[in-house]
Amino acid sequence: MISLTNYLVVSAILFCIGLYIVLVKRNAIQILIGIEMMLNAAILNLVAFGKFDRHNNGGQMFALFAIVLAAATTAVALAIVLNVYRRYKTIDPDKVDQLKD
Amino acid sequence: MAYHALAAVLLPLLAFVINCFIKGKAAGWVSTIAILLGSVVSIIVFNHTFNTNTIHVSRLWFTIGDTQVYAGILLNNLSILMLLLVNLIALPVHIFSMAYMGHDQRYGRYFTCLSLFCFSMLALVVVDNMVLFYAFWELVGFSSYLLIGFWYKKEKAIQANKKAFIMNRIGDIGLLIAILLLYAQYHTFDLIKLFGQGGLVSQSFIKNGMWIATGASIPAVWQYIACGGIFLAVCAKSAQFPLHTWLPDAMEGPTSVSALIHAATMVAAGIFLLGRVYPMFNTAELDALAFIGCFTAFMAATIALTQNDLKRVLAFSTISQLGFMVMAMGINAYASSLFHLVTHAFFKCLLFLVAGVVIHEMQHVKDENQLDIDPQNILYMGGLRKKMPLTFIAAIIGGAALVGLPLTSGYLSKDGILIQAFEWSDTKSVGYKIVPIMMLITSWLTAFYVARLIFKVFFGRLRVLDVKPVVLCHISDGGWQYRVPLILLSLCCLFPVFSLNPLLYEQSWLFKAFTTPDHLERMNIYHTIIPAGLNILSVAVIYYAYAVYIQERKMLPFAQNNWVFDFSYNQWYFNKAYHTLFVKPVLALGEGLFWFDRKVIDGFIQLLQNILLWLSKVADVMDRYVIDGFLHLLTAIVQYIGNFVRSFQTGRVQYYLLSMLAVIVAWFIFKTLI
Amino acid sequence: MSAANILFYIMSFIALASAGYVAVSKNLVRSVFIFFVTLFALAGLYVLALADFVAVTQIVVYVGGILVLILFAFMLSGRETLNVLQHPDRSVWKITNLPALLIVALLFIVLINVILKTDADHLGWISDSIKTKNYITNSGDMTGNIGVNLMTRYLLPFEIISILLMMALVGAAHLSRKESVE
Repeated sequence: MISLTNYLVVSAILFCIGLYIVLVKRNAIQILIGIEMMLNAAILNLVAFGKFDRHNNGGQMFALFAIVLAAATTAVALAIVLNVYRRYKTIDPDKVDQLKD
Repeated sequence: MAYHALAAVLLPLLAFVINCFIKGKAAGWVSTIAILLGSVVSIIVFNHTFNTNTIHVSRLWFTIGDTQVYAGILLNNLSILMLLLVNLIALPVHIFSMAYMGHDQRYGRYFTCLSLFCFSMLALVVVDNMVLFYAFWELVGFSSYLLIGFWYKKEKAIQANKKAFIMNRIGDIGLLIAILLLYAQYHTFDLIKLFGQGGLVSQSFIKNGMWIATGASIPAVWQYIACGGIFLAVCAKSAQFPLHTWLPDAMEGPTSVSALIHAATMVAAGIFLLGRVYPMFNTAELDALAFIGCFTAFMAATIALTQNDLKRVLAFSTISQLGFMVMAMGINAYASSLFHLVTHAFFKCLLFLVAGVVIHEMQHVKDENQLDIDPQNILYMGGLRKKMPLTFIAAIIGGAALVGLPLTSGYLSKDGILIQAFEWSDTKSVGYKIVPIMMLITSWLTAFYVARLIFKVFFGRLRVLDVKPVVLCHISDGGWQYRVPLILLSLCCLFPVFSLNPLLYEQSWLFKAFTTPDHLERMNIYHTIIPAGLNILSVAVIYYAYAVYIQERKMLPFAQNNWVFDFSYNQWYFNKAYHTLFVKPVLALGEGLFWFDRKVIDGFIQLLQNILLWLSKVADVMDRYVIDGFLHLLTAIVQYIGNFVRSFQTGRVQYYLLSMLAVIVAWFIFKTLI
Repeated sequence: MSAANILFYIMSFIALASAGYVAVSKNLVRSVFIFFVTLFALAGLYVLALADFVAVTQIVVYVGGILVLILFAFMLSGRETLNVLQHPDRSVWKITNLPALLIVALLFIVLINVILKTDADHLGWISDSIKTKNYITNSGDMTGNIGVNLMTRYLLPFEIISILLMMALVGAAHLSRKESVE
């Protein structure tokens, strides 16, 4: 029997690594990967707790929905990245700063 | 008949209105035809009404409180006579003007003003209440003002019309005061009710220092003030001492205007006013009137002796003759006064028209030869008798009438006045003898200056030749517009018009119309002696003048440069005296006020202004450095904060996320620790 | 120390190590492929949490869908993009990364703190679930139960999520087409 705390700690570490990627990387696609990583950390939590809901399967259901949503967001995000590249000839988010005053 | 009279009055008004809208030479014909029709109508009125009953037609004009003021026409002998006189004088003057003003650029305006004047004068003589009388009195003064200043580009004309207007205003104030006092006492403006037979004025009397009328009594001093106001009005309008100085200056207007207004009609308005309100004077006031007239007549005659301006001589002669009329009013010779008014109107108008012709021709000579002379100065004239015989004859007739030689109308009226003056002085104390004696002397002086005038102008040689030896002289009597008026007026100056007997004024129809039968008898010796003595001496004086001016004998009793001459030549220094006594103080007062205004009031305002300026500068400094400084400090702080905050807005998404996380972490730590 | 526990630690180590490599790798393409490993390892963890259907879905959707999509994105972007991306101009341990590292570390401490304080194994509803035998054992097949639940209890979210998915795909296709009109 694996303790829930173990899952949570793994999830927290994974989340922090994802967050670090998002903060540090100078590449939109890598940032996207970081986001996916954070999402997976959350899904891991859902699945871990879902073990204790046999009848309704709430945790697993939301894990499924989250995976589908991740797919949708990735598709849209990649389309946006392509457009940004087409316009600015770069995908470094630091260089896309025209909203600055 | 009242409507006929009304038509005669309104015809010039119609001409005035038409002339306001048309241009060109038609104006003269419009005005002249209006006057011609007016003359015809007034002759009809005169034939029907003169020496019959009084006609009085009136309508309710307006109501103030309990007072109903009526407006209407009053036709009695006096007003009918004046109506006819004004029309008959105006007609030849209009005809004369058509030629005299023919080359003037503002021909139309001249006749417009002239028609306005005729309307005002005619209305003045027929109105039946004091309010309307006052209105037309003012209108007459105003149209006179317009005509004196007709040549508005001449500086002297402008000065003259201002002087005339201001002096007339003084008289107008007197008349207004008198009217208001009469209304306060009698509660009516109606001339009939006031001055008619057995009217309110004749019923009132002064007793114990109170002026008592039916139902009212006020202190007697008001009665004197009312009479004084009337005197003032008469003095201003009829150019009596002390308000006479405007009339000589008024000669700056066109000569035809001088003939109509300042010789024959308007100046007679004062006498007419005296005639209208005659019943209100008591004996003392009449005596004052007599002395005023007497003094004016004498003074003006002495001035006329030395004047060189043709029109000015005639102007002073007019003042002198008006003095005769006023004096005649004062000595109870009511009928003679009016008689003299009528005859004087004719012969003075005639003389002015003669002067107009002469001046016109002299102007021609001046223009043709480009001489630098005054065309009105008699010292440049002379010998004109052969060149303009008709004018000469007219001048002789007019002059004879003015002197009062037999066979002329002047003889009848003037001698009547003199005779009655002597009769009047008999009833008074010895001191009053001075009046008739001065009038006699005045008559002889008149003879002298008239003779001087005629000799200088028509006899001898043309003195323009002294200025320039060879001159072109196209001098003649002029066209029919000149001849017809002269002939017409000359005929009116002769005795048959007024009396079939050339020597006895009592036989005159005009005299009879205004007097009671008992005056008509030749009561005493004066009726024979005075005309005879007067005329014999007059002829002697004329001969003396002939000797002096034609034969050029040195017979003048004094040189032409001593103080007597200067006194006369400078018109008794009245102008200078008035200038010193009234004009200069007023100007000085004005300058003083100007100085006060400039220095004190303006200075005070300047001080206030400086204080305000100083205050505003302080406020400016306060505003600029304190308030604005504070605001600038605030804005600087805000700007600094804004810039500081803006520096966070790098546009870098990850930076934002980092900041966000930092806040969240800080929050968590904060919650955990506390 | 059961076999499940040993498998859990192995899987956890693989997942975390590969994730860490993704974080420090300079090479974009390599990091993408290492991310596969993380996902596979996570799928293994799901299995260990007795959620086999979710694990399969994870592999199908992420590995078969998302990562392929990312690779397509590279290829569509053209070679020069890859060239630029392959030469990142800064190292991972640069001083500029220090604040991020600090924040992440602090957050991690906070999270661990929270997790340890929570003591998830003894929460109220988990204890209830154990008492009422309402927990998944490794003997049964849950796929049928999931299918029934999807079509009954979670029908509305299911339909909504399908519509959302369609909209997202249409939108993505619209965004990424070439704007030849301009």
